[in-house]
Parts: sequence; C-alpha cells; structure tokens
Amino acid sequence: MTAIGSSGLRARTRAGMRYLLPFVLIPALVALSVTVFGDRMYLAISFLIAALAVLLFLIGIEQKNLGARRMVLVAVMTALTVIGRFIPFFKPVTALTVIAALYLGAESGFLVGALSALLSNFYFGQGPWTPFQMLSWGLIGLVAGYLSRPLLRHRALLLMYGVLSGAVFSLIMDVWTVIWYSGSFSWGLYLAAAVSALPYTLLYAVSNLVFLLVLGRPFGEKLSRIKKKYGI
Amino acid sequence: MERLQIDALSFRYPDAERYTIENITLDLCCGEFVTLCGATGSGKTTLLRLLKPQLYVQGERSGSIRCDDRDITAVPPEQIGFVMQDPEHQLVTDKVWHELAFGLENLGVAQQEIARRIAETAAFFGIETWFERRVSELSGGQKQLLNLAAVMVMDPDVLVLDEPTAQLDPIAATSFLEMLRRLNRELSVTVIIAEHRLEELIPMSDRLLVMEDGRLTIDAPPTKAVQLLPADSPLLSYLPAPVRLYHAVHGTGACPMTVREGRDYIRQHRAIPLPIQPSSRSPHPRPALTLKDLCYRYRRDDSDAVHELSLTVYEGEIAAVVGGNGAGKSTALLLCAGLVRPYRGAVKVFDRRVSDYPAEQLYHGTLALLTQDVTSLFLMSSVRDELKGYRDGERMLPFDLSPLYDRHPYDLSGGEQQLVALAKVLASSPRLLLLDEPTKGLDASAKNRLSVLLKKLRNDGVTVVLVTHDVAFAAGCADRTAMLFRGGCVSVAPTREFFSTNSFYTTAAARMARGLLPNAVTVEDIASQLSTEEVRA
Amino acid sequence: MKRYRDYNPIAVAANMLAAALVAMFSMDPVILAVALTGGIIASLTCASMRKRDHLFALGLFVALVVINPIFSHNGATVLFIMNDSPVTLEATLYGVSAAMMLVSVLYWFRAFTAVMTSDRLLYLFSRLSPRVSLVLSMALRTVPMLRERWQKIEQAQRALGLYRDGNLIDRVRGILRIFSILVTWMLENGVITADSMDARCYGTHRRTSYALFEFGCSDAAVLGLSTGLAALTLWGLSGTDFQYYPTVSYTGSAVTIIGYIAYSGLCLLPGIIELWEGIRWNGYRSTR
Repeated sequence: MTAIGSSGLRARTRAGMRYLLPFVLIPALVALSVTVFGDRMYLAISFLIAALAVLLFLIGIEQKNLGARRMVLVAVMTALTVIGRFIPFFKPVTALTVIAALYLGAESGFLVGALSALLSNFYFGQGPWTPFQMLSWGLIGLVAGYLSRPLLRHRALLLMYGVLSGAVFSLIMDVWTVIWYSGSFSWGLYLAAAVSALPYTLLYAVSNLVFLLVLGRPFGEKLSRIKKKYGI
Repeated sequence: MERLQIDALSFRYPDAERYTIENITLDLCCGEFVTLCGATGSGKTTLLRLLKPQLYVQGERSGSIRCDDRDITAVPPEQIGFVMQDPEHQLVTDKVWHELAFGLENLGVAQQEIARRIAETAAFFGIETWFERRVSELSGGQKQLLNLAAVMVMDPDVLVLDEPTAQLDPIAATSFLEMLRRLNRELSVTVIIAEHRLEELIPMSDRLLVMEDGRLTIDAPPTKAVQLLPADSPLLSYLPAPVRLYHAVHGTGACPMTVREGRDYIRQHRAIPLPIQPSSRSPHPRPALTLKDLCYRYRRDDSDAVHELSLTVYEGEIAAVVGGNGAGKSTALLLCAGLVRPYRGAVKVFDRRVSDYPAEQLYHGTLALLTQDVTSLFLMSSVRDELKGYRDGERMLPFDLSPLYDRHPYDLSGGEQQLVALAKVLASSPRLLLLDEPTKGLDASAKNRLSVLLKKLRNDGVTVVLVTHDVAFAAGCADRTAMLFRGGCVSVAPTREFFSTNSFYTTAAARMARGLLPNAVTVEDIASQLSTEEVRA
Repeated sequence: MKRYRDYNPIAVAANMLAAALVAMFSMDPVILAVALTGGIIASLTCASMRKRDHLFALGLFVALVVINPIFSHNGATVLFIMNDSPVTLEATLYGVSAAMMLVSVLYWFRAFTAVMTSDRLLYLFSRLSPRVSLVLSMALRTVPMLRERWQKIEQAQRALGLYRDGNLIDRVRGILRIFSILVTWMLENGVITADSMDARCYGTHRRTSYALFEFGCSDAAVLGLSTGLAALTLWGLSGTDFQYYPTVSYTGSAVTIIGYIAYSGLCLLPGIIELWEGIRWNGYRSTR
C-alpha cells in the first residue's frame, strides 16, 4: 500500500517537475541574460528563451504515453486549428485550443496550440516569431487544461477565459512586435504598440467569445461522444 | 497445416440482446484464400475484427481463436495484418515512404533494416515512382494499395481484409485484388477477405464462407457453395452474373462461375431467341437538362476536365452517365448543378440557363444534388434532428425511416445514411435530381432499394441524372445511358442498346450474351430467353 | 550533385540558425552587413523569391532607417532640426544597423523556410521528440484532407440551399455550419485512423524513427564547420563593444578580425557550397 502510494507520489512529483522546470528555468535564464548582456540583445534572447521553453514543454510531453486514439485526436484538433486560421477575420484558433485542452487535457492543449502555430506558419510564413506564437498558444491551452474543471462547470468562466486569453495573447505578441521592430524594449513603445493593435486585440477577444459561445457546447458534445466511441 | 482455428466462437456487444457472432467454428489452412460474404449487419466485420486482438472489441466473448496453436492474444501482433474499407483514413502519416515505415517504426526495427524492408515492399508493389509523394496527392486506388503495402511490410502470415475495394472504382478494385492474388500465390500469405465484389474474387478463392445473422451457414469451395444457397436467399443478388443466371433458371449440374463458362452455359441451353424489344419507354420530348459545348478546367495550365460536352436529358427519365476515372463525370455534375461555372458553353435546366436562376429558386424546387460522400450533409447528433424540417423529403421515400430516428447519423450503414441524405435533398421537392456515384460502398440489397427508389421518383415525375462506375446498376435502372471520355460525350443511347453495343465497357451479363442473345444486358434478360424446359429436364 | 538543401537537415539548420542568431545578438555594423549579404545570397540560392519580396524588404529597410532618428533623439551629432527636434547622426546610424539586422534575419528565415520543408522539420523534431514529430506528421496529413473536404461540404451545402440571401450574417452562419460538419466528419473518421495505428502495432514496442536523410561525412563537415565558425565568431566578438550613443564608439582588437572572418565563412557557406557543387557538376559534364 505504502509502496504504491509513494511511487504514485514520486510519479506525481516527477510530473510536477516536468512542468515546473520550464517555469523555473526560463525566468532564471532571463535574469542571467539581463545580468550578462545588460539591456541589449532582447531579440536574440527572447527568441532563444521562447524556443527553449517550447522545447522543454514538448520534451516533457514526450515522456507521457499518449495512446493511438489520443494521438489521433490531438492531430485532428491541430489540423482543424490550422484550417481555422484560414477563416477570414474571425480566427477560431484560440477557441479550438481551449476546447481541445478542456476535453483532452492540459498536455494535449499545449500540443494543439503550439503545433498548430508551427504548422499554420508553413502557410502564413515562418519567422523568429514562430516560437513566440507557439509558446503563447501552447500556454493558453496548458492553462485551460489545468482549469478544465471550473471552466467546464461555469460557462461564464469559460467565456471570460476566452476573452482574457485573446487579450493576453495579443498583449504578449505586442511585446514581440516592440522587440522585433525596435531591437529593444521600452514601456512607451509597448503602450503605443498595444494601442495601435487594439482593434486586433478586440477582434481576438470577440472572436474567442463568439466561437466559444457558438462552438463550445456542440463541440463538447461531439468530443464527448467521440471519447466514448474511442473508449478514452 | 492449420494456421487459424476458430472454435465455437460467440460474441455479444455490451447491452445487446442477441449475439452478433453465434457459435462459429472455422479452420484456415496455411496459404488459403478465403472469401467471406453476407449482408450488411450479418456480423462479418465483427468476426474479422475479433481476429485482430489489437483492435480491442468490447463485449462478451466465448469460444477460442487460435493461431499457430497459440491463443490469438499471445501471437506477435505483426503476424496478422488488417486492412479496412476506407482508403483515406487508414493512412496515418503525410508521406508515402513514412507510411511504409510506420509499422516497422512501431516494432522498434533498426534504421538499416527498415530501409531494406520498405525497399523490397515498394519494389514488389510497384510504388517506387510515387515513393516520395504526399499521400494526399494519391488516387483512391493508390491509397488503398499503399495501405496494403504498409501492412505487408511487417511480413504478416495472415491477412485480414474488411471490404477493401468497396470505395474503389472498378479498375482500381481489380488491380487491388490482383495484387492480393499475387501475395497469396507468390508469398503464400493466408488471406481472409470480406467483400461484395464477388465477380473477381470467386475465381481466385479456395473457399467461400457465407454468414447470415451471425452464423456461418455455408463453408465450401466456391463452385459448391453457390449451389448450396437456397433459391429464395437474398444473398443470391450478391453473386456474380453467371451464378445468378444459373439460379434464375433453376439450373442443375455444374454452375458457371466466370463469364466464359456463362457463355458456354447459354450456348448449351439457348432456345430460339425471342428478340427483346429495345427501349419500351419513348423519351419525353421536353428537355429537362441541356448541356451545350461545355468546357471547364480547374486551373489555367491544366487541360480541360470537361471538353465540349453536349448532352440532353429529357423530362421524366433516368439518365446514367458512365465512364472511367478522370472522364469528367463528377465535374460535369457540378456544372449541371451550377456549383462551378463553365468557361465556355451553357447549361440549361428546364429551358433556362442555370446561371440565370436566383439561388433561392434553383436549389428550392428545381434541382437537387446528392454528393458522393453523403456525410457532407450531416450536422446533427441524431437522425431525428437531422430530418427536422425535411419531413416532405422523407414522405417521398417509399421506406420508413422512423426506426433510425434515435441513432447518430454516423452510426448508420452506408445504405441507411444515403436514405437519410436523400430525404434531406428531396425536401425541396426538386424536379431534377443529380446523384454522384450513389452506389459507392453499398451492398447488393441497398443497391436494389436505391433502384426501386429512383424508379418511383421517376414515376412521380422527377428527372434523375446519375453518374456512376457501376455499369450493372446503370443497366438495371437507367432509361438512357451516356458515356464520357476525356471530358466529352462519346455515345448516348437507350440503356439496352447502349450496353448491347459496347463490348468492353458493359455488364457481365451483356458480355455473356453477346452474339448469342441480342439485346440482353441483365441476368433477367438472359434468363427470360433460356429454354427453361430443357434446363429442368 | 549534392546541393545545399540536400545536406542533412541538422547540418543545414545549425548553419542557418547560427548565422541568424549571431545577427540577432549583434549591433556591430560589419557583422550585420555580412549577415545581410549572406542572407540575400542564401535566399536567392535556396528560395524562389519574387520581385515583390525584395521590394518589401527594401521598403522595410528604408522605413526603419527613417523612423529611428525621428523617434530617437539620442546622440551628440545633430544633423538638422526637424519640427523642433534634432535629428542626430548616431540615431540614423543606429537605424541603419537595426534595419540591417531585421532585414537580414528576415532573409535568413526566408531561406530557412524554403530549405526546411515539412519533412526536414519533422526529421529535426524526430531527433528531439519522436512522439511530437509523429503528431506533426499526422496533422500534416490531415490538413490537405480537410481543405479538400471543406470544398466538398461547401458544394453539398450550397446545393442544399445554404447562402440563401448571401448577406454577411448568412455567410458567417454558413462558414460555422461547414466548419461544424467538417469537425464531426474528421472526428468520427479519426476512429479508423486510430484503429489503423493499433492494427500496425502502435504502442507495442519502443518506437524507432526512420528517415530518408543520412548523416554522412560531408554532413558532418558542414555541421562541424558551422558550429566551429559560430564558436570562433563568438570568441572573436567577445572583446568588441560597439556603442551608438552618445557618440559612435568602437573598441576592438586583432581578435575581432578573426571573428569577422569566421562569421563571413558561416554566412557564405550556403553560397559557397552551391557554387562549388555547380563548378564540379559542370566539370563532370564536360569530361563526359
């Protein structure tokens, strides 16, 4: 009994470590780079850090054994998200990532978010921004997966999460825009970028809201049926 | 030597009242080629899936399945290969070479060994030329061949196939089955295949198994098995044309199995032919659909998919459009429905250009299109919800759909899905119904049902145009038939005349009767002309 | 003839990413000029660039050069006064450097995207994380299937009377409807894919991953050269300091020259390989 308990505990600590690692390691890296390089080289550092974070998360997920059925579902949701990016104006990307995370779990949510960013950029253009998008969408999925219980129980919370994640995604990408175009970071420029991107931020938030409102429940039913059919 | 031994196997799905598989005992020898046939829902698929323990089927099982004297669960999984119906969704990865490597990767085979084995397999299957292609660029036939190759690369002893050619066109199906025969002959792979396309399969099978309601009713060599079927069995319609003829005239003695034997049979039993009157129906003079010099291409640099196509379909007839792959049949149908626009020429529906109709009027009360894969129409999670607002269409069908109401559209059989889809499409009470490959994936009884339905619609005044590869279906159902080749219409004639004139592109019955019984194109035609007295004597 | 893109993806990725990363790390104009030249050469030899892509890059370059001195008034040397604010030499030079950095990184990524086709990227991923690489491959297989299916569903739905009025609300509703049908279709049929994976022994053993790419001596040479040159560049540049504000100041040493040479080698490697192979091929053709 105790043996099982302790091994379960160990497994859980290991699982916890997997996700703690990126969260601890990355701020440490940021601190280190700031002390070593001073305030320059934001671009390279932010690129490296985002890429590293994505890799750490992916390697963490690699350790988990997803069965064939879950693999298929993740691949299908990723492909659907990529296709969703082709819809003009209203992008269901974040909403689909959130839905995948809610029904398939946090790791799957991260995978769907990160991989759909990577894949869709084959059509929309790869660049140093790719790791940034992967990280942002991946984290939106990861967090939604961890909060799946309250989010599934309260619809209002889910919608709020959708609006919030849309806004946060846009704000994170604004950080990137500032670093990318000016080579350094300043709050003044950031504010300017955020203000000029406001219509997009709003559109993101609104389309997340709309898609979660419209797709949320039918999608949930579909995925629940499929989960039963697949026997997951 | 026995390879596979099934002993007193019964199986029941959870919550099901009756057994899907009931007390089946069956032995398969090394290198045997066995064909399994039966109506949809007879338990074929369940039986085959039970032979592959990795496709864990939930339910209550009794009896045993042994392979090489071990319980089936103890057999290394790569020893039993499994190929399913759908060519598209069985593919897992994005590239042909990766698909071939996938199974070996799963087995943890080393890189060098994988390279050798996929090279061997690719050479055997002749897929070197498309080895580095994306799977999405392949044709349906190539996809299914790749699925077979991807299983064979793991070097299985037993190959289990569940209707592998149901979604393929006749040419691709034949080359798939030929490949299967080679695997059986040259590598002595034991094959068990469930299939409706028996015309080609029966000559290559060692044994024919017939399943009815979960029971194995017949297990014998094909020549004997077909004679064991009772004369009123619904399974008769699944059999090849010569065998059907034999049963239709209540034949005795050796049963003809191939077209050649069928011709001999006709020669022996021929009476003085009463000439069949060609085409009893005279075409209605008013045209329902007129195509004039249509040209269409998908991209600027492509060649024409439809090239100077002219064709007239008259009101109140069933017109079949046949032709090989890439002849432009499906494209022509899209042009007729106004879904794509020709770059030259005109489509007229009831004497008015299709582009002049407002969409509201064109798709409500004028024409309707049933696409190839009917699941494109399904949105809801039950048939009841799916048909809400489409009750008018449901009433036009001569079948009762209410037993299906509580089921999910995707849980229905292909034939049932098609009925639901037809109900949706017919709800707008169209005067012209266009159907794209309506018999794809259907079993014989569903085809018969569809034929009855289309004839009823015609008698109700609906003009029907169907595009199909299935010449036997066209021969039994259409009033007139047209053949497309390289985007244009090369011949159009009343169906009987059409099929009795053609020598390659025609039904098996017409090929048997050719030169012996003029104008006979279906088994029923031939049967009506054989001297039954002589046969009975 | 082994072209640059035919080298093992690990070697190619190491070469290109090292070149781009050094450019991102540096504000040294010499390094940036080399990066820009190398990037342009690489994208010309590897990617099929259209005229409008170059025009876009040029436009971005000019815009960045102009914008920095307008917004940044740091720097001691005033060139002229515009709208009561000084335009300085230092800010202009900084703008030029920033523009070179940005545009060179753009070019490098352009070349990188062109060379790193999806199966090369999958190969890279399969070394890092086989399972994620498989998911990627499956998703890559699904995307074209979905695009084709979208069209079919749209046709079926249009023939059923969708888009009746053709106004915006109807169109949005239509798109949602198609999307919903697409989702159901894909999810329901995914069962088949999962069965097909199980039937081919997925998850029964520890997976290996097969690739068409081999790692030969020449690949090792390119990889070794790339990492070596990158290390040499970093060492050579470690002593330099290039400051723009308040006045342009530069501290360097003889070692810096080594850094510049090493970085030039790193950036020009794609072009050199293409050129070298071209010459060899022509020689081979003429002796035949």
